[in-house]
Amino acid sequence: MTIVVGWTPAPSGQAALDLGILLARSAGESLQVVTVVPAPWPVPSPARVDGEFAAWAAERGEVAVVAAREHLSQNAPDLPATCSWRHARSAAAGLDRAGADHQAIMTVLGSSSDGPHGRVVVGSTAGRLLHSSRIPVALASRGYRPGTATTVGRVTCAYRDDAGSVEVLQRTTAIAVAVGATLRVATFGVRGRTMYPPQVAIRTEDDVLAAWAEQAASAHARALAALDGAVEPHAVQTALAVGRDWAQALDDLPWERDDVLVVGSSPGSVLSRVFLGTTATKIVRHSPVPVVVVPSGG
Amino acid sequence: MATTSRARTHQPLGSQLRRRKPLADPKAGKASGPQLARTIGVFQLTMFGVGATVGTGIFFVLQEAVPDAGPAVVFSFLVAGLAAGLSAVCYAELASAIPVSGSTYSYTYHALGEGVAMFVAACVLLEYGVAASAVAVGWSGYFNELLLNTVGFQIPDALSYSPIPFEENTTGLINLPAVVLVVLCTMLLVRGASESALVNTIMVVIKLSVLVLFVVIAFTAFEGDRFDAFWGAGAAGVSAAAATIFFSFIGLDAVSTAGEEVKDPQRTLPRALMGALVVVVAIYVLVALAGVGSQPLEDFSSEDQQSAGLSVILTNITGTTLAGTILAAGAVISIFSVTLVTLYGQTRILFAMGRDGMLPTRFAEVHPRTLTPRFTTIVVCVVVSIVAGFVPSDYLWDTVSIGTLCAFTVVAIGVMVLRRTQPGLERPFKVPGYPVTPVLTVVACAYVAYGISPITWVIFLVWVTLVLSFYLFWGRHHAALGRAAEVDGARP
Repeated sequence: MTIVVGWTPAPSGQAALDLGILLARSAGESLQVVTVVPAPWPVPSPARVDGEFAAWAAERGEVAVVAAREHLSQNAPDLPATCSWRHARSAAAGLDRAGADHQAIMTVLGSSSDGPHGRVVVGSTAGRLLHSSRIPVALASRGYRPGTATTVGRVTCAYRDDAGSVEVLQRTTAIAVAVGATLRVATFGVRGRTMYPPQVAIRTEDDVLAAWAEQAASAHARALAALDGAVEPHAVQTALAVGRDWAQALDDLPWERDDVLVVGSSPGSVLSRVFLGTTATKIVRHSPVPVVVVPSGG
Repeated sequence: MATTSRARTHQPLGSQLRRRKPLADPKAGKASGPQLARTIGVFQLTMFGVGATVGTGIFFVLQEAVPDAGPAVVFSFLVAGLAAGLSAVCYAELASAIPVSGSTYSYTYHALGEGVAMFVAACVLLEYGVAASAVAVGWSGYFNELLLNTVGFQIPDALSYSPIPFEENTTGLINLPAVVLVVLCTMLLVRGASESALVNTIMVVIKLSVLVLFVVIAFTAFEGDRFDAFWGAGAAGVSAAAATIFFSFIGLDAVSTAGEEVKDPQRTLPRALMGALVVVVAIYVLVALAGVGSQPLEDFSSEDQQSAGLSVILTNITGTTLAGTILAAGAVISIFSVTLVTLYGQTRILFAMGRDGMLPTRFAEVHPRTLTPRFTTIVVCVVVSIVAGFVPSDYLWDTVSIGTLCAFTVVAIGVMVLRRTQPGLERPFKVPGYPVTPVLTVVACAYVAYGISPITWVIFLVWVTLVLSFYLFWGRHHAALGRAAEVDGARP
């Protein structure tokens, strides 16, 4: 069993590798650092017109592997890790196949550079994997650095009161127990905007929010009771995070450098693949810490 | 569960009816989430009131009110506006003294006790539920007119008129466009859509523009002798028309509940209320003057003006469909927003009742995905769709008015009761001219209510009886207040 990291010798690859190291060390797994380079034409042409391209791609792969080994030897000499490169039509397809080949338990990716610093930015490769992966996908926030943290300190489960969430919480709990991290169950909510003019009262939505908070609190109690002693209930933190929008809601919670947020995929997805619902997408986008997206029913 | 609910009946009915919901510690409530800023000024609040009020009824009301009152309908508008304005002033005192969010229902529950609150709840549910249906029916008429004028096709009568007859009006099987509108609004509400101040401003501009268009064009066909028999319909006619018109002032009370948001309520609230009232009454009276002056009285009750009345008048005056089409388009857009806002009001009142335990707790459930009270919204959708689809609007307008009038009368009496029972209560806004103003409010409301037809009173009384029976057999055993009292009683 291993964890696959999608690596490129760039800041986003570095963030992914740092996250991969943290996760692998916490879970006691090995690392497979994989760089995907463009595949040459499958049929060799008589004049080998793409030979030069294939050689260039292979060279890029080698350079990436050397850089990965160097980063690993500096940051995680203790960790069993293999670095390799492979051809594929796309980075997502290559990582998907690498995951299957190595029977990986998770794929780790960085954020795209096209977004705010410190938030998770889903790029094209991550977007594709979130739609097709059968194993959890971990996403490092942009510019992620673990700092002094060597293992995951706390796992936060984004919990919503529905059937899919219960399953995600169970899996998160298992992970938290396995890596020896604290478990935090958090429910995120956005205050609805009051209709303008409201006809009834300007503060009506505060009542809706209060009702939601009460419901969420009792849902937390039920969820913890349903964990059946897998974890000491009093050792679990619960939290309600509320904001005017999703960014504020995510910022409403205190976060540490060694925090990881776990989000479940949409419960209605086909073939239990990872597929983000609208709320999950917003939570992922605004998360200030690395996110692990787990497929429901997988 | 059954045993505990029976145990709750131990409190005698009399004290249950009188028990008042205590005020929560205002500081405790503030910490729970993001709050709104309190920076509403006079102008903003006035626009807020105009936006909330104009559009609920003016697009439909002439065809209902002019046949009752004749040219004196102008006077009916003034009477209805006076009653609405006075009511809003009284409501403002109650709302400012009791810092909770909610409708008239919530304020009464805190001020006057559970029994009165349930009566007011019955009134307010009728007001918003039926208003949403009535507005949807009115929208359907303008929608059909717009279709006819633009694509030359109209939804057949069988699918655009309700099956219940009213006098000589056209009947059909179901008012499908009205039902579709309600369903669309419900989908938006379930998803958590809301109208912002910007959208409200745009809607106000659209509404006012098309009404100004109507007034300007209608005045070109103005003939003074159409006002000759001004008092022809007599005082009874004026009162009957005022009763119908009253619902077009619904929304003015939204200003009253904004007391907590404005900096200097004692100064800002009455100015904004007066400002909004003057603007709204001026627009309504102009529309009425222009309408009555532009065509013979009997035309108002003609069949082709049964729906999309203002648009048809413009078409008749100009001889082309352009102006009528513009008005119909404006009406279709802005009435959509009125329906959305009214349905929203209804869902939040039921939600508050669910929170209080007056309705099953499902009504207070927030859906974890959409973060909206989905169950309540769907229940409202089903009921409002049925009323909108099958009942002609002529029955609906008066029902809306009666609910509003009764709720406001209770509020005015409540202000007087509170002044006597709790003279020390802090009131950031006090009714000017006490005790004349509340007494005048009751008199004005009673005069307007006097014009409501007997059948509407019967409908109203049946509805109130139903709601109160539900309270007697279910609500009072499940009230959250009762449960809290029980917990307190169980403590050593």
